[in-house]
Amino acid sequence: MTLSLLLRSAVRCNAANLVKSARITPLKSYSTLVANVQRKAVVQPLAVAKIAAPIVREISVSAPRMAAAGSSHTLLWTVERIVSAGLLAVIPAAFIAPSQVLDALLAISVVIHTHWGVEAMVVDYMRPSVVGNVLPKVAHIALIIISVAALGGLFYFIQNDVGLANGIKRFWAIKGKDAQKS
Amino acid sequence: MLATEARQILSRVGSLVARNQLRAISNGTAQLEQQAQPKEAQEPQIKKFEIYRWNPDNAGEKPYMQTYEVDLRECGPMVLDALIKIKNEMDPTLTFRRSCREGICGSCAMNIGGTNTLACISKIDINTSKSLKVYPLPHMYVVRDLVPDMNNFYEQYRNIQPWLQRKNEAGEKKGKAQYLQSVEDRSKLDGLYECILCACCSTSCPSYWWNAEKYLGPAVLMQAYRWIIDSRDENSAERLSKLKDPFSVYRCHTIMNCTRTCPKGLNPGRAIAEIKKLLSGLASKPAPKLETAALHK
Repeated sequence: MTLSLLLRSAVRCNAANLVKSARITPLKSYSTLVANVQRKAVVQPLAVAKIAAPIVREISVSAPRMAAAGSSHTLLWTVERIVSAGLLAVIPAAFIAPSQVLDALLAISVVIHTHWGVEAMVVDYMRPSVVGNVLPKVAHIALIIISVAALGGLFYFIQNDVGLANGIKRFWAIKGKDAQKS
Repeated sequence: MLATEARQILSRVGSLVARNQLRAISNGTAQLEQQAQPKEAQEPQIKKFEIYRWNPDNAGEKPYMQTYEVDLRECGPMVLDALIKIKNEMDPTLTFRRSCREGICGSCAMNIGGTNTLACISKIDINTSKSLKVYPLPHMYVVRDLVPDMNNFYEQYRNIQPWLQRKNEAGEKKGKAQYLQSVEDRSKLDGLYECILCACCSTSCPSYWWNAEKYLGPAVLMQAYRWIIDSRDENSAERLSKLKDPFSVYRCHTIMNCTRTCPKGLNPGRAIAEIKKLLSGLASKPAPKLETAALHK
């Protein structure tokens, strides 16, 4: 009885071994075996090191260049908010009591407000990872030129013509020919 | 022996059932009709589900929409029920993440009918004339079908160091005593700690779509604020100083898609605004109402 059991188990073991070896040997060439050994040797300590290493990392995921420059966007954001809130007072004031000073204030605040808005769009959409490194810079410089030109033009208009608020008022006062007839 | 006994019992039970049925028939046809009525009314209610499919194993194949027809009579009320039914009964290759089926794990976040939400807590629209479109979370790399790659999101979450940080680590032995926090201070965390990090808000944010690798996104920023404002945390200044660059926070343009889409009804937009206020100095973190480490002395 025991003998037959032993024999049977031995046969089973042999069969299992045979199947195993038959399955594995053709798949594993010398190079893969070597590679496996190397992987085992290299990867395992690395994995351990990863677990053991402190998981304290830098919080910012911005480009390293920016982090190194230590650029802070805080002041700009605060000034943007102040200008936005200030527009609520400057726009009505410039139209109620038109003067060169208020016109100048209106021109500066509106142009800088628009500039920051478009600048955010340029930064958001002109991504170096999508359009390359040149186009974002070109777009940004072009925006600065446009903004400066707009501000210069408005100043010229305020200095040499009826002024900004008065000009806009006149523009809206223009009546069409139909309106004059009636 | 046993088998024959079992057979006898079974046949006895069967005859009982048959006798009951006979009695029901003899009692009158009205009762029978009552039983039959709801069955007749239940004609199948077929709803079409158009589901985004993409399998990386089929090289060169483009993503496509596959339509499944589900009988809502034989399906649970939620979109996840329908997805599970499709996977179980129609197409086992359909791949999606799910776990808790009750809106607390955040696994089944996906874009359902144009809105980022959790499949398990969004009801199927009963109107069968319109099909329901299901996409993975927008602007994420897709691993397969409805499964997005969340690695960047989790890495960003890791970067805000989401754990309590104290200056006097040596003096306050961990597990020795509790940290104290007043009820008022604790209430500041309400609406922040409930976040399940399903990424519905982050992936609904256009700023996160365009600059996901630099902008932290609403979900992670709300958790950043949760640790900044915690009265027990002493690293608020450092946490804030790490957020002040032009991208981490300031790509938020208050579009508020995050608050609109949040399946838990939280307000990440407000949390980001609070961070901006703290950064600009328009607000400051109040001192704790209770001495946090009093019990450690």
